[in-house]
Amino acid sequence: MSPIDRRLLLHLNWPLLGFTFLLFGLGVLNLYSASGYRMGDEVSLMPYYHKQFIWGLVGMGCLVAFMLFDYRYLAHIAWPLMFATVVLLALVLVVGKTVYGAQRWLTFGGFNFQPSELAKFSVLILGALLLSKKQTRLGWLGLFQVLLVGLVPAGLIVVEPDLGSGLNVLLLLGGLILYQGLTGGVLKTLLIALPLTVPMGWFFLKPYQKQRILTLIDPSKDPLGTGYHIIQSRIAIGSGQLWGKGFLEGTQSQLRFLPEKHTDFAVAVFAEEWGFVGSIALVALFCVFLYLIFVTARGAKDRFGSFLAAGVFFYFFWQILINMGMVVGIMPVVGIPLPFVSYGGSATIVNFCLIGLVLNVSMRRFMFKK
Amino acid sequence: MNTKFDSDASHAPRHGLILLQVLIFGLFCLFTVRFWYLQVHKGEYFAEQARENQLRQASIPSARGVIWDRNGKQLAVNEPSFALGLIREDCEDVDATLDKVSEWTNVPIEQLQEAYKRGKKRVKSFEPLILATDLTFEVLAKIEANAVFYPGLKIVVRHKRFYPYGELVSHVLGYVAEANEEELEKDDGLALGDSVGKQGLEYVLEQTLRGKKGLKQIEVDALGREHNQQVLLDPHAGNNIKLTIDLDLQAHVAKQLEGQAGTIVVMEPFSGQILALVSQPSYDNNLFVLGVPHSIWKELRDDPRHPIQNRTTQSVYPPGSVFKLFMTACGLSKGFLKYSDTAYCSGGYRLGQRVFHCWKHSGHGTIDLKQALVSSCDVYFYQLGERMGIDRIHQCATEFGFGSKTGIDLPHERAGLVPSREWKRKRRGEAWTKGETLNVSIGQGQVLASPMQIARFISSLVNGGKLMKPSLVATDPPVVQSEIPLSDQDREFILNAMVETVNRGTARSLKRSDARIGGKTGTAQVVKLLNASRRRKTHEMPYQYRDHAWLASFGQRDGKSYVVVCMVEHGGHGGSTGGPMVRAVYEKLFPPESGKKKVAAASP
Repeated sequence: MSPIDRRLLLHLNWPLLGFTFLLFGLGVLNLYSASGYRMGDEVSLMPYYHKQFIWGLVGMGCLVAFMLFDYRYLAHIAWPLMFATVVLLALVLVVGKTVYGAQRWLTFGGFNFQPSELAKFSVLILGALLLSKKQTRLGWLGLFQVLLVGLVPAGLIVVEPDLGSGLNVLLLLGGLILYQGLTGGVLKTLLIALPLTVPMGWFFLKPYQKQRILTLIDPSKDPLGTGYHIIQSRIAIGSGQLWGKGFLEGTQSQLRFLPEKHTDFAVAVFAEEWGFVGSIALVALFCVFLYLIFVTARGAKDRFGSFLAAGVFFYFFWQILINMGMVVGIMPVVGIPLPFVSYGGSATIVNFCLIGLVLNVSMRRFMFKK
Repeated sequence: MNTKFDSDASHAPRHGLILLQVLIFGLFCLFTVRFWYLQVHKGEYFAEQARENQLRQASIPSARGVIWDRNGKQLAVNEPSFALGLIREDCEDVDATLDKVSEWTNVPIEQLQEAYKRGKKRVKSFEPLILATDLTFEVLAKIEANAVFYPGLKIVVRHKRFYPYGELVSHVLGYVAEANEEELEKDDGLALGDSVGKQGLEYVLEQTLRGKKGLKQIEVDALGREHNQQVLLDPHAGNNIKLTIDLDLQAHVAKQLEGQAGTIVVMEPFSGQILALVSQPSYDNNLFVLGVPHSIWKELRDDPRHPIQNRTTQSVYPPGSVFKLFMTACGLSKGFLKYSDTAYCSGGYRLGQRVFHCWKHSGHGTIDLKQALVSSCDVYFYQLGERMGIDRIHQCATEFGFGSKTGIDLPHERAGLVPSREWKRKRRGEAWTKGETLNVSIGQGQVLASPMQIARFISSLVNGGKLMKPSLVATDPPVVQSEIPLSDQDREFILNAMVETVNRGTARSLKRSDARIGGKTGTAQVVKLLNASRRRKTHEMPYQYRDHAWLASFGQRDGKSYVVVCMVEHGGHGGSTGGPMVRAVYEKLFPPESGKKKVAAASP
């Protein structure tokens, strides 16, 4: 049997695919503006938008690959995959390549690989598998079982340190747990306990991380450090006003006042050039995009598929919330990119793979076979 | 395994699906509100911030006025100077940058840190904070080659004052140096690192010389790279100034004074213009322009011969016998003295228990006024002084310009002193004694005058009785400060006595057949000498006990008049020390006429 038959193509979730490409296209266009700095001083031979486009092509290939097999097979490899992930994460800490003071990469003959990316899949698949078997809302025991699955890889990632990825993994798992639901007692306890643990968590933060949170409250305290990002980002966004300055006309980003404009702060470039109208259009696009994933989760023929789609939903949801929140100055500055819009090779490929997975679930909702 | 999840109800958790919808809706609302707040509600505010962000304003330095001598020779000019500035906003790592700068320039790191700390308070973060000044081309090249790795570093071209003749005109020009905290506080036109006049004409004429800075607007990016410039306000260079000083004469005069501590001033009596003003020892004013090193400053300050002191205006001395010219003028004008009045000099004058000596121990015998001036008889003037009394002398001296500043355009001028009963009572709480009056009568004791005051006084005798403001700026119109109360006949009498003094008195070294030259010597006692040492020769005494030597003179030829006053500290007798110097000055002012010179040379 060919891995994919005609009926599958008929049931392909074209709207989701379309919105994915639309977002990616906008991202590349935005990068073109962000890196089209008129002094032409970029050291790299290939501009960011060009590279991003190539990553996108690779990502689309991966997307197709993630559509082809029946997602239910993933249940079989969930545990071995998690085991492999943990081993690789541990290996990173021992022999990993250190870049900018963080050990995140494993090098295989010139090819750099980030096990933290793999961890996103392992946690998603194993989390979805475990939760899909639960019939009721989670009590304390169930909560701990599931959390354990995420805490080990997340802990290893945070130690690298890669707070962004670690947070991604935990939030994804947390999303899955919320999707399954908690018993009233657990939920109430957590709602009371969490605000109390926040001050305690404060002590575990590194000084620079504390600084970022303090800076969020008052950016002027650190106008040349983290506060600079926030201040400049707000100026760039705000000065876009209602209609924006126009494509390639964003003075703040063009004149380089905006730092990291191609990665974490890409939205600020967009908001400066397209104004309030463009910003809201972008938010709306993301909402429709999330809605289409939600529809997949709702329509999946089995709980495993529904949880997989819900996991992807949360994976994107948190990133959109945190990245945009950071750029508009309502969240601390954490290195989390905006899906499909921020520059980044591995993130782009992972994003396409996850959409492939959702499409996989979506197209097989009519093909359910005992 | 399969059975477990296959057989179960395939429904997604209901509340989970509701949660996802709530989250999507919440996401949309949250960002719509936030973007609306930033872009619409506060849009105008941020747009304004964006404009400020890209535009920096910077001042354009203005050149300081050039100073010329009366013949157009440059005495104070501006040279380009390269300084290293740091634009803090563009600097990523201040410590590392300062370290590197220290390595390149050999400026100690502590000094750079100090400059940075000081500048942080005053210099805007996007304006260059000057770390090092006056860079050599070698250092400049080092910086240019490496500055790329240290963003924020910027070579700043500035004007640096340069005095081509250094020591020669220091006391007139003074110098500029970096403005200090106090000056910055007082003067809004100054910014940190600006030069400001500290001494001499540079100080007094600061507002004329300084000029006005311009303003430019620079469009920059966040790395501090400049894209466009627009001049908002053109800089205005300071006014150039032409001095009355004749550099050639100044150099000639300085040569005469070489090795001495003293001063010679050459004044044009009718206009009040100063042609030469030399005070020695001197100092190189270029040393101060970029900050004099502490060791050199200490050396200058602690030098017992006080090179920084301008002896022409900032030092006052007893005028000695030169004061007899004034006593004569005063006696004649107030009716205490007639040309024919005689006195008998036995070599001393008894007042109560004390005998006041004449410098000529054997005495002058019976002499009249002119003879008393020519031979500088002390006894004659003791008697005159006694007749007049200290209060009349004080009153009169004030009318002749003693005890008050001449008003020359130089800072820290001293007024000198003509004592009075009143003054002594207030100052010392003691009564005035007659003996003190006798001392004042021959220019000793409490009376003090600056060489500039003497020059102004002599000028007033020559120019018809006008006290002229000594002027250093060629374009300044002559200023008559007041008229001395002396008839033309009396003035002429005194001038003739001075000529006589040159021809056959104490100032014989000035004697010229081709010009009318008059003079009066003076010897100002530094310490009261005992009788025993009275007759010791000057060169036998320790330097610091030797008398100050004065020579006040005027010269006229072909309708030109000059006043030359010479004062040599611890120089002994005015005639022997000052004479040859002043003679040389007149040789420059009135070059020996060629014909006469030949005759003189042909017949030895």
